[in-house]
Formats: sequence, C-alpha cells, structure tokens
Amino acid sequence: MDPASQLIEIILWGVATAGVYILLAVGLNLIFGVMKLVNFAHGELLMLGAYVSFAVTAALGVNAYLGVLFSMGVVAFVGVVVERFCFRRVMGTEKLNEIIISLGLIYVFSSTAVLLWGDKPKKIVSPFENRAFPITESVFISYDRVIAMIIVAALLVGLFLLVKKTRIGLAMRATSQSSTTSMLMGVNTSKVYMFSFAVGAALAGAAGALFGMIFSFDPYVGGALTIKAFAIIILGGLGSLRGAVIGGLIYGIAEYSASIFLGGIWPDAVAFIILIIVLVIRPTGIFGQKGE
Amino acid sequence: MLSKQDLSALIRDKKVLLSLIVVVLLAFIPAFVGGPFALRILTLIAVFTIYASSWNLLAHSGQGSLGHALFLGIGGFASSLIAINLGVPPLLGLLLGGLFAAGFGLLIGLACVRLKAWFLAMVTFGASVIAVAAFSALDDITHATLGFPPIPMTPSGYSFYVLTLVIASLCVFSIYLIMNSKLGLAFKAIRENDLEARMIGIHVTKYKLIAFVISTFFAGIAGGLYVQTQSYVDSSIFAVENSFKPLMMAVIGGLFTIGGPIIGSAVIVAIDSFVPSVDKFLQPILQPLFPAVSAVSPPLRMLGLGLFLIIVVIFLPKGLISLWPKVAAFFREEPKGKTDEAK
Repeated sequence: MDPASQLIEIILWGVATAGVYILLAVGLNLIFGVMKLVNFAHGELLMLGAYVSFAVTAALGVNAYLGVLFSMGVVAFVGVVVERFCFRRVMGTEKLNEIIISLGLIYVFSSTAVLLWGDKPKKIVSPFENRAFPITESVFISYDRVIAMIIVAALLVGLFLLVKKTRIGLAMRATSQSSTTSMLMGVNTSKVYMFSFAVGAALAGAAGALFGMIFSFDPYVGGALTIKAFAIIILGGLGSLRGAVIGGLIYGIAEYSASIFLGGIWPDAVAFIILIIVLVIRPTGIFGQKGE
Repeated sequence: MLSKQDLSALIRDKKVLLSLIVVVLLAFIPAFVGGPFALRILTLIAVFTIYASSWNLLAHSGQGSLGHALFLGIGGFASSLIAINLGVPPLLGLLLGGLFAAGFGLLIGLACVRLKAWFLAMVTFGASVIAVAAFSALDDITHATLGFPPIPMTPSGYSFYVLTLVIASLCVFSIYLIMNSKLGLAFKAIRENDLEARMIGIHVTKYKLIAFVISTFFAGIAGGLYVQTQSYVDSSIFAVENSFKPLMMAVIGGLFTIGGPIIGSAVIVAIDSFVPSVDKFLQPILQPLFPAVSAVSPPLRMLGLGLFLIIVVIFLPKGLISLWPKVAAFFREEPKGKTDEAK
C-alpha cells in the first residue's frame, strides 16, 4: 500500500474509532465536570448500551439504528438509578469511596450481563452489513462507520446546544463552577446531578449501540474502554468538552496507527505514552484550566 | 531517625507488644488448622497486607496510584531475575527487587511531581499498561511472555509462611513508624491541604517523592513474595486486577489506618479463596435459572463481590475497621455515647 493511502486509512479509521471514544469521554467529562464524580463504571454503561441494542434488535427485529435510541433511554434510566442509590450516598465523603462504588458496579454490571446474555462475544447486525464506500483503490470505509461518525457529530452538537443554550445547561455550568454557590442561587443541585448523570449515561448508551455495530463485544469490554475514556479526558483537560473531542481524536488516531505499525499489545501502550508525554509537558492536559 | 527515648517508649507501648503477640500466634495457626489450603491463604494474606499497606501509605500522602501492579511486577521480575542470573541468595534478591521498584518509583514520581491526584493516578495506570508491552518487547531479558519459575527462597509451605509473616510484620511495623513520625505528619499535612502545608514550610515535592519511593519499595517487596506464592512470573502480574486490589483492600479495611489494609487483605483474599467451595453447592440450584451461561457460579461470585463492595462503602464509609470501637464497646457494655468519641 502506498504511503498516501495508508495515511488516509489511518486518519479515517482512527477518527471513526475515535467517535465511540469521544461519546464515552464526553459523557464521563460531563459527569466529572458537574458532579466532580469519578465514575469508573462508565464503560460498563457502554457495555450495557450495546447489549440493550443487541437484545432489542434481535428480539423485536427493529433497525439497529433505532436500537441506539432504545439504548440511550434504558442506560439513562440505569444511570439515574445508580446515581440515586449508590453515588449520591457517598458523595462528599472520601473520594476513594466513589472509586470503590464504581468498582463494585463494574462487577455487578458485567456479571449481570454474563448471567443474562452469556460471555460469548456478540455483534449487533446492522442493516448495512458488509457494505463499504471505496475511498481510494485500497482503502474502504464501511457504511456503519460513516453513519456512526454522523450520529456522533449530531449528538455532540445536541449536547453543545443543551449545555450552552438551555436553562438546565446553565444550571449545569453553574454547578460545575461551584455547587454551593449555585445552591444558594436557587439551583436544585441534586436535580442537576441526576440530569447530568442521565445525559452522560445516555451518551454512553449511544456509544455502546454504535460500538456493537462496529466491533464485537462481550460483558468485559467496559473496563478497558473506561480507562481509554479517562485517558482521553485527562489528555484533553478535565471538565473541557472541547478537550474531550480533541483528545479523543488524538487517541483514536494514535491507537490505530500503533495497531498498524507495531501491532499486538502496543496500541494501548502507545496511547498511554502520548498521554504521559502530554501530561509531563502540560500537567493539566491540553485544554485544562489552571488550578483544577 | 529514632532517638533512644522514642525507642524505649515504643517498647513500653502496649499496642506494639500486643501486635507482637498476635504475630507469634499467627505463626502457630497452621499447626492447629492444618492443610496446605489454609497455609496458602494465610501466606497470601501476609503478602497482600504488605502490598495494601504500601498503597495505603501512598494514599496517606495524598497521592493515588491506579497502577501499583507496575511496582508489584517490577519487584517480582527484578527479584527473580537477579536471583537467577547473578546467583545472589533469593532473600537478597527480594531486597534488591524492592530497591529496583523504588528506583522506578522515583523515576515515575519525578515525571509526575507537578500532577494532581487524578492525573497521577492515570499516569501510574498508563505506566502499568506500558510495562506489559515493554516487558514483552524485552523478552530476551525478562522472559515475560512465557514466564518462568523463580528460585524458591525457602521450601514452600510452613517455612515460607513464617518467612512471609516475619517480613510482613517488619514492613507493617516500618510503615507504622513512618506514619507516626514527623515524616508521616508531613504526608498527612500534604494530603489535607498541600497549599497550607507549603505555607508552614513543608517541601511538598520532596515529601511527595519520598512517599512515592517508600511506597513503591514495599510494593516491590510484596511483588517478590507474590511471585514466590505463585511459583511463576509472567506479564500477567501487571494486570489491572492487581492494581485495583490494594485500593479495594485499603478502602474496605479502613483508609489511612495501619489495621485497615490488614483487615481488607484478609477479607478480600478470604472471599477469593473460600467462595469457590460455596458455589459448588449453589451451582445445581441456580444453573437452570440462567440458561445463557455455561457455568453460573463465577458471575454470581463477581456479583456478590460487587454488592459487598458497594454495601460496605455505603454503610461503613470509614471501612470495616470502624466497626472495631462499636464491637469493643458492645463487649465492655459501655453507654453508647462514648463509642462515638473513641473514633
């Protein structure tokens, strides 16, 4: 393959994979920004989203892209339950308690998925299975990846409008700056927390449904993805939505090129090497604010 | 570091004497509850006590690590490789393994001095992921892909258990001394507010590095012992699971305490080891309910562990050790008001 088309392939496929990461990372960043909560079980919400979409498309025979909507709804509901009954009870205590809760949730979600769906890898059958656009003679990109990119972009625009243009978005931004002050200004912060968690979870659910169409998945897929999402938001800067998008693109492209040139277990390592280099040079990430 | 006065005060300290008696009693347990299974569990608890305590010490200085398996692994690999290749006695190898881990700890600590809590946690996690790739790339030296058995320090079984127990007691005691010294106080000050700590003249960067080096040294020692219990070293030692275990143990037992990591490692190791015999019994009852899985017990065990973690954290946010004053008060039958002060 000539270098030019290889470069195109790397960027195209890297960006397509990055889309899923970005959705996950943006949701995680939203939750962290507003609630200062570290949700290590975020990848499990993605896994759940993938299974919900799988179950809906398999059982009801609906279009896999409708499954995305189903996943968003169900996972948002699960998110609300988790926020209400687990995280809210430990918020404000030792930060590590939140991590332990998320570890507990990882076990609970993945074992529930094993019990319900088994641990064999599954894949959501999309209506455009095995169809691809030719870009150059040797580079192809599947319909699913293109549609996934469009959906990711649409969701990001929607999220941006939600955060910047609506009343609840204003409340979310205020709470993220100072929850005490916004409470004093009459913002119902516990409602804002619940809403932010639900939105973050819904994005993870959408990411899961898209992930399931592009890759095969099993109940243990969440852990590695959570870590990637964390790496991305730290790379981009905690609490910065723009940072999560840029960080996700860098991460996706770095990972994909490492898998082509080095292979094996290197993709994860290379992505983290980039993360460490960025952090050593700029300790708050690319778009991070000082004093976080 | 210790003056003569401190030392004599230490000897007169009831807690120290009591712990010594407990350690001696622990050494004799296997004589009564025989069997290699019990011995193995006790040995693992001792090893994980070192590991969880080392993590706890780092947390005590306000730094979180999500990649402590890196130092566990470096300690394990370095101690075994040094003992095999240089022909030094395995015990010396263990010490060198700890120093090796501390060296890496210093390097990573230096790279991260400017980073705040979550960023540091992520970098340590990343480092443990990179280690898997790096150790496989250097396979000629490390033999990490296929793995190899380390030279046993003592005949396995009872003598190894006693050795581990002695080393674990020494490590926990050193950590106790550190946490109660001026150094430990500095760590605590940094954890609670690093800006104020800097204001009262604590060199924050220096102390953070010191905490990192000490913690990684003990993690390396734990690694050297851990590979002995597994009789095998390969790159699976860097697994995420091993990074999260000390965190789980310290938090479940009780953060920033000496007893917490001990209780936590006993509980988690016990859950890991005993539950399989329980689910042999549950398997035939529950299997028909879940047709999707071939073996129903492993996911159920995970579900149980997950619920256990969540319940402990929600109802005992200070860890299992916070039960102790309540239990003690129950046996002394003192009025309830007093127990709250005791905490």
